[in-house]
Amino acid sequence: MTGFSREEEKRIRLDRMRYTKNSLSSSLSLLAIVFNVFYFVSIYESDVGSWYYKILIGASIVYNLVFMLMVFLASEGVKNYRIGYAYLLLPVGLGQILRIFILPLQAYRATVTISKIDYPVMESRQFIFVVLWLALSAVCCLLAGVIGVQRSKKLQAYNASLEQTAA
Amino acid sequence: MANISLQHLDKVYDNQVQAVFDFNLEVKDGEFIVLVGPSGCGKSTTLRMVAGLEDITAGKLLLDGKDITATPAKDRDMAMVFQNYALYGHMTVYENMAFSLTLRKENPNVIHKKVLAAAEILGLTDQLNKKPKQLSGGQRQRVAMGRAIVRNPKVFLFDEPLSNLDAKLRGATRREILLLHKRMHATMLYVTHDQVEALTLADRIVCMSMGHVQQVGTPIELYDTPANIFVASFIGLPPMNFFTVKVENGTVSNEQLSVVLTEDEKQLLSSYEGREVVLGVRPENMEEGGEIPVKVFSNENLGMNTLVHGHLPGGAAITCKLRGWCDYQAGDTVNVRFAKRHFFDRESTNAIR
Repeated sequence: MTGFSREEEKRIRLDRMRYTKNSLSSSLSLLAIVFNVFYFVSIYESDVGSWYYKILIGASIVYNLVFMLMVFLASEGVKNYRIGYAYLLLPVGLGQILRIFILPLQAYRATVTISKIDYPVMESRQFIFVVLWLALSAVCCLLAGVIGVQRSKKLQAYNASLEQTAA
Repeated sequence: MANISLQHLDKVYDNQVQAVFDFNLEVKDGEFIVLVGPSGCGKSTTLRMVAGLEDITAGKLLLDGKDITATPAKDRDMAMVFQNYALYGHMTVYENMAFSLTLRKENPNVIHKKVLAAAEILGLTDQLNKKPKQLSGGQRQRVAMGRAIVRNPKVFLFDEPLSNLDAKLRGATRREILLLHKRMHATMLYVTHDQVEALTLADRIVCMSMGHVQQVGTPIELYDTPANIFVASFIGLPPMNFFTVKVENGTVSNEQLSVVLTEDEKQLLSSYEGREVVLGVRPENMEEGGEIPVKVFSNENLGMNTLVHGHLPGGAAITCKLRGWCDYQAGDTVNVRFAKRHFFDRESTNAIR
């Protein structure tokens, strides 16, 4: 029991945001990077000849770097309730879902022929893990973005009300 | 309520060096006690023993009658403010102040209220989102105090908190500590080697030297009636002048000066007739126009007063604090009289009373 009324609790929680970081959004963003790392570490797991040597994989590598940079910057931004960075995390999260249908799905459906025998590029088990990492990364990004937007808006409104009161 | 009782405390380090000898003190609830003395006199060691940061070799420490001699520091309900602030550089002021309560898993809303209240008291409300490196020394020390305040401890311990500040900031922060004490009426133990801090802050001063308590008393008691030569020389700025003189026929004299005793002084020194005593005179207790000639070798004008450094005809050094702006040149002679005198036993160095 803290002895605060519900209204007061709500107001204090808002006021606290003026001095505390949005560490939930920030941590979720960093977690999204971790899951993305798991994704790209596990995607090249099997030895499938030269299947991966094409432009798609180059683009994937570049996107991984861009993703990590963007999400890291966004994690710092959302920590300080900067709404722009929170909005950035939403399309980036959706992008992670979209990625499932590009490289992993193509690799899962593809086969390579080595010594006249067809081998699947990606086994089901590997596919499940790769999809799981991307999905988790996407969920983290989206959650971080949604929470970031909500909290930033609340804080903006609260600060505006404080300014009005002061004026 | 926070009464502290220090009973016969001794501190002996592993290398057999004894830092504190038989320290006894009763601190009343809400009292501001200042431990003062030169470096190495054992004042910080004593404070650290009270805080639980040093083991107590012998003796007892009681808090509100409860023996806490062996209680770990974290369970003593005391907050300590250090000279070097001990703030976390990667945390904001708010986070620094909230840290101890967060560790205790207190409700975040309660923590918030306490931090804001402490920030209000210390004038830190506008600084809460800043990191310590963005603050001045005085502000950092206030954050350190704020961190102590939010815990609402029974006792506040200060270990030379103003030593890292410049003179102006030290004065301002000193006044803030005084206001804080008046506002919170908390029991405070404060260690310093600066006698100005001791005299201005303390309800009572504990003057220490070489691990021994020399005198415990109010600031005016230590200033007006020092227990011995050490206290007399340590309290007061510039320090007291001392002369070895012989008591003879209602006067005290040596080859350099002769002072006629008052009736009270004659009575005081009656048992010392024909023996040597130490005469102590504070520089501010000297007035122009007396019978003692002082040959000036330097003159420091302080505005309201002038410090005249010189020597008596026999060569003994003397410092006089004379009223007003004086323009004495080196080589001039100024005649002074001793308006108030202290006498000490030459062997024991104790005050003659």
